[in-house]
Amino acid sequence: MSKVVFSPARINIIAKNTFLEAVRQKFFGFLVIIALGIILSSQVFRDFNFGAPELKFIADFGFGAIVLFGSVLAIVATAQLFFSEIENKTAITILAKPIFRSEFIFGKFLGVSLLLLVFTGMMTVILSVLLFWRETAIMEGVDPEAFEAGRMVAYGDIFLYGIVQWLKFSILCGITMVVASFSNTNLYSVILSFVILLICHLQYLARDAWAQMEFLPVQLAVFMLSAVFPNFQLFNIGDQIALGESIPFELGARIIGYALIYIIVFNLLAVFSFRKREI
Amino acid sequence: MTSAISIEDLTKDFPLGFGHLKLRAVEDLSLEIADNQVFGLLGPNGSGKSTTIKVILGLLAPTRGTCGIFGTPSAEVSSRRDVGFLPEAPYFYRYLTGFELVRFFGRICQVEKSKLNDRVHEVIEWVGLKEAAHRRVGTYSKGMLQRIGLAQALVHDPRLVILDEPTAGVDPVGSAEISSLILKLKEQGKTIILCSHLLGQVEDICDRIAILNRGKLILEGELRDLVSKKDLRSVVVQDYREEYNDELAGWLQARESRLVSVEQPQYSLDRVFLEHVGRSELAREKLSERAEVAKQQDTASGKDNEEKKKSS
Amino acid sequence: MNWKALVVIFVVLFVVGLAVRPVEGPAWDELREREPSLRLADLEDALGQGVTVGLLGGFRAIVADLLWIRTNVIWEQQETAVIPATETMIRLVTTIDPRPVYFWLNGARMIAYDMSVWRVREAGDYGNIPDAAVRRYHDEQAETAIRLLERAREFHPDRPEILIEIANIYLRRMENEEKAAEYYRIAAEMEGAPPYAARIHAEILRRMGEYEQAYEWLKELYATLDPGNPAHQKQVVLGRIRELEDTLDVPLIQRFQP
Ligand SMILES: Nc1ncnc2c1ncn2[C@@H]1O[C@H](COP(=O)(O)OP(=O)(O)O)[C@@H](O)[C@H]1O
Ligand SMILES: [Mg+2]
Repeated sequence: MSKVVFSPARINIIAKNTFLEAVRQKFFGFLVIIALGIILSSQVFRDFNFGAPELKFIADFGFGAIVLFGSVLAIVATAQLFFSEIENKTAITILAKPIFRSEFIFGKFLGVSLLLLVFTGMMTVILSVLLFWRETAIMEGVDPEAFEAGRMVAYGDIFLYGIVQWLKFSILCGITMVVASFSNTNLYSVILSFVILLICHLQYLARDAWAQMEFLPVQLAVFMLSAVFPNFQLFNIGDQIALGESIPFELGARIIGYALIYIIVFNLLAVFSFRKREI
Repeated sequence: MTSAISIEDLTKDFPLGFGHLKLRAVEDLSLEIADNQVFGLLGPNGSGKSTTIKVILGLLAPTRGTCGIFGTPSAEVSSRRDVGFLPEAPYFYRYLTGFELVRFFGRICQVEKSKLNDRVHEVIEWVGLKEAAHRRVGTYSKGMLQRIGLAQALVHDPRLVILDEPTAGVDPVGSAEISSLILKLKEQGKTIILCSHLLGQVEDICDRIAILNRGKLILEGELRDLVSKKDLRSVVVQDYREEYNDELAGWLQARESRLVSVEQPQYSLDRVFLEHVGRSELAREKLSERAEVAKQQDTASGKDNEEKKKSS
Repeated sequence: MNWKALVVIFVVLFVVGLAVRPVEGPAWDELREREPSLRLADLEDALGQGVTVGLLGGFRAIVADLLWIRTNVIWEQQETAVIPATETMIRLVTTIDPRPVYFWLNGARMIAYDMSVWRVREAGDYGNIPDAAVRRYHDEQAETAIRLLERAREFHPDRPEILIEIANIYLRRMENEEKAAEYYRIAAEMEGAPPYAARIHAEILRRMGEYEQAYEWLKELYATLDPGNPAHQKQVVLGRIRELEDTLDVPLIQRFQP
């Protein structure tokens, strides 16, 4: 009998199936509509005639909607698409086939990641269109002086923002897979993943403050904490962009590199943890 | 020739929450299952049948012992290459159609792309789901789920087919059809492992059986040896009268045989149900999909029904 | 749960966390440099503002935006009764998100120019009440606004708009030309200052009678101007220099040679 070898084609099949399943779920459409609603609701700012600063307000709302609903989607969709396979026993049928568990994990990850890319991409494009439309209107009408130096919105940076957030959501998907690979209920996976998300957002406190701790054991504990969890504050570049500060190339490259490393690490950890899971 | 499945001293414990308390689902099980037969793995609920199967398929890790499929240890992915598996109470992606589902599993099993669609149509037709192939799996009845489960297990034409409770929750008509499909698989030269707690249903189709109880093997052997009393025969007579008894006993004694008992034959309720449902037009309409498929394809089950109708 | 696996996961993450520092460190330092609220001077700051910032994450800007809208809604009532509420809201918005200069400038304008007018109007309006009373209202509101802008300077030490705003309030609300001139000078000397800041500084000096000072300032300024940039108004500056030379009776040979 010939050996079964690791197959990217199988990963691809799992990924596609995962993506299709996600898109056909009501939850995805629901999130898209809510996020869109929030982005479009920034139109209330028109009533106040703020002039050029209106663009900042629109960007704030758009970025906020992307971050909030992207994070929710990353966690809930991963738990739903990965953990539910175990819970609903659909995984039994798949894993009884000649397929490596790593292929299953990578396929699931890629499927969810593709879903997150579609979500982030859609939101970023809609936000850009909205900004462009309002910028043009304000430039030609209400507040032309503010645009002496040309257009104010850096569309390239908004695009970069979309990529960075997508990578962050993908890390979050990896984290949720690791959590789900050893947890026993869907709710537990979701809650624990949100707690970890929160810790990752606050990690920078530990990262910058451990040296100031006076009591050595506390110092060590805080240092450990800062090393174990990734620094999600690093992806928080939306405010800068909304304030009109551009992101230099090297900074962007470092953030992206950091994200890619963690995506790989969490995927491998998920494989490690799932490898011996009893189905 | 290596056996289809070999299990050696298999023990499987499940931890029970905290502490060291454990539940022993399978204990010191050794079993060799030879090629090309229908093997029944029987036993009451909770006796460890599904657990044994899952260990064989590498879904669970054994606590002790080893097992392998066609000589390849279960821990290796390659061991599952020639196996089709229908899980107990199968759940599938509800949003896929039956066709898409079988196609998905076919691709996972790396069925050649040029042959894939034909093969998928073929197995779906074979299990009698042609009409429902483009309906979502979420709308399937329990019997249809078992059939589509059978189709996905067969899509890559495996040598070994493992079926875990394929008739659980399915009505007798459906069960009989599944039974005849299993016999057809055997004709094709496959090995079939059939787990069931419905002992009566598997009686007709198994060549060999093993019975588990509380995780332990309590009996194994050829079905014929186990159930038939070789030196006894029963004779079924129309319009029998009790007064024949003495005369018959004497007649038999003269030929050095002995009358053991005179009983009224008991037909199983299953058989009564099958006969009546087979006749009733109303029931046929209700089950039209199934019956039509059976007629068109002239499957073994279709023939069965016809025969039963004639005989009644 | 499998504790051994959990320990392995933690150890791997710890090692990876240390190993990626060379990638993450410089990026984080740069980002923190751009984001004042992430700079942790001491632990108390970290646990106070830091946690708020971390928790609000990407939503801090939205919260501030919404509060700013609320501020505007209150402000639109245009009466003294809403002065405390509006001032509180402005402080709240700028505390939650001190980064947009827009909030500071517009908040200061509301306080200095609008609220002072409301107060005068409610006391009987301009012309009906004594000048001293008008003065008092103007001064009080201007001082509050300037205090707000001085706080803004702490967050944005390199933004000339804030100094120009302070200078304007001194000039237009407090009629304090000396202070106005000083703030225009500081603004003009900053990088990215609008070219008119330097001209206004000179103009205020001239109005104050400080002709010598204004003359010296403009002469120095002239050398830095770009004739090709219409905003620099190099010819106008030369005209001012000539006027001052007339006023100061500078002898012809000592006059400024461009
Ligand atoms: N994942 C599990 N965790 C704990 N106990 C289990 C698990 N799976 C099965 N069992 C227990 O093992 C025993 C055998 O179960 P199973 O193999 O499903 O029996 P059968 O298939 O013969 O009905 C049962 O007592 C069952 O409760
Ligand atoms: Mg079972």
